[in-house]
Amino acid sequence: MRLNQSLVTANAFEKHLVNRRRKKSGGAKSIGFVLMLTSMVDMFSMLVIFLLQTFSNSPEILVLKGMELPNSITPSVVREATVLAIAKDGNLYLDQKLVGKVMDVTKQPDVLLNKLNLIKKQWTASHKTDFSGEINLQADREVESTTVSIVMAILTSSQFQAIQLAVIGK
Amino acid sequence: MIGNTGRGSKRQLDFELNLTSFIDLLSTCTCFLLITAVWIQIGTLEIKQSHGTEAAAEAKDSFDLDLVFKGPTELNVNLKKHGKAVKTLALKSATNEEMLTKLNEALKTQILNPSKDKKILIGTATVTPKSGVNYGQMVSALDVLRKNKIVNIGVLTERGQ
Repeated sequence: MRLNQSLVTANAFEKHLVNRRRKKSGGAKSIGFVLMLTSMVDMFSMLVIFLLQTFSNSPEILVLKGMELPNSITPSVVREATVLAIAKDGNLYLDQKLVGKVMDVTKQPDVLLNKLNLIKKQWTASHKTDFSGEINLQADREVESTTVSIVMAILTSSQFQAIQLAVIGK
Repeated sequence: MIGNTGRGSKRQLDFELNLTSFIDLLSTCTCFLLITAVWIQIGTLEIKQSHGTEAAAEAKDSFDLDLVFKGPTELNVNLKKHGKAVKTLALKSATNEEMLTKLNEALKTQILNPSKDKKILIGTATVTPKSGVNYGQMVSALDVLRKNKIVNIGVLTERGQ
């Protein structure tokens, strides 16, 4: 208070000295700071609105690392099912586990067929309804379409007839 | 005393929002939504590969449509009824995008609505790929079919199986 009074009453030079002393002494800024509550609440509200708009309750399927899925303008909602993935390097994965090279599997599909039959048996054991035949097929956009069609034919022969091609929705 | 002027007790017009609980709620919401946020919207295109008795019952007046890739920018469109070709269109373009635009226009004007009074119902559509055509291009063609409300789509192998 005295300092303030002196500031009011002092001349310009004294004011300068007082200010300099104030800056030197302590030198420390006040520890407590004022939080701008209005802008913080604004920011939080905008974040919540944006996140609520982009909220999706559809199941997520794991996409292989490095895989570029094709874009689509008419995608449907993803349904949870076994995931078969054809990578760009020519490897075939079933539920993230390597089955082998696609070219080998298309020539001798027994390995894949056995694994698919096992999945089918497990599904039948855990469900009372008929086998739905649903499977998610992921393939890199650069993979040959003929390769994908052969894999699809193998799936069809193993009663996986509702094939869902994974795409990125625009 | 000022408030009691004989017109009944007035409530204070400005109220105080309890900011602490409001910020708590907002931050909890933000955390939950950030954790559960899906940043890549993955969707699916459903392909029905069933044939014979398991295939969906076809309507009497419905036609079948075959898209046969002849190359990355070359496509044959065959309209069939009871296995017999009714109309065949050969589409060829310099780029894939152009070909898809042509396909879209051909489906709208020549296949689905050949005249003002006539509308064609497509029961099933099949896509036959060709080596040299990548999967992304095939999905784009499927997209064009789905855009024209043709949803019962199957994919054949290159040999037509």
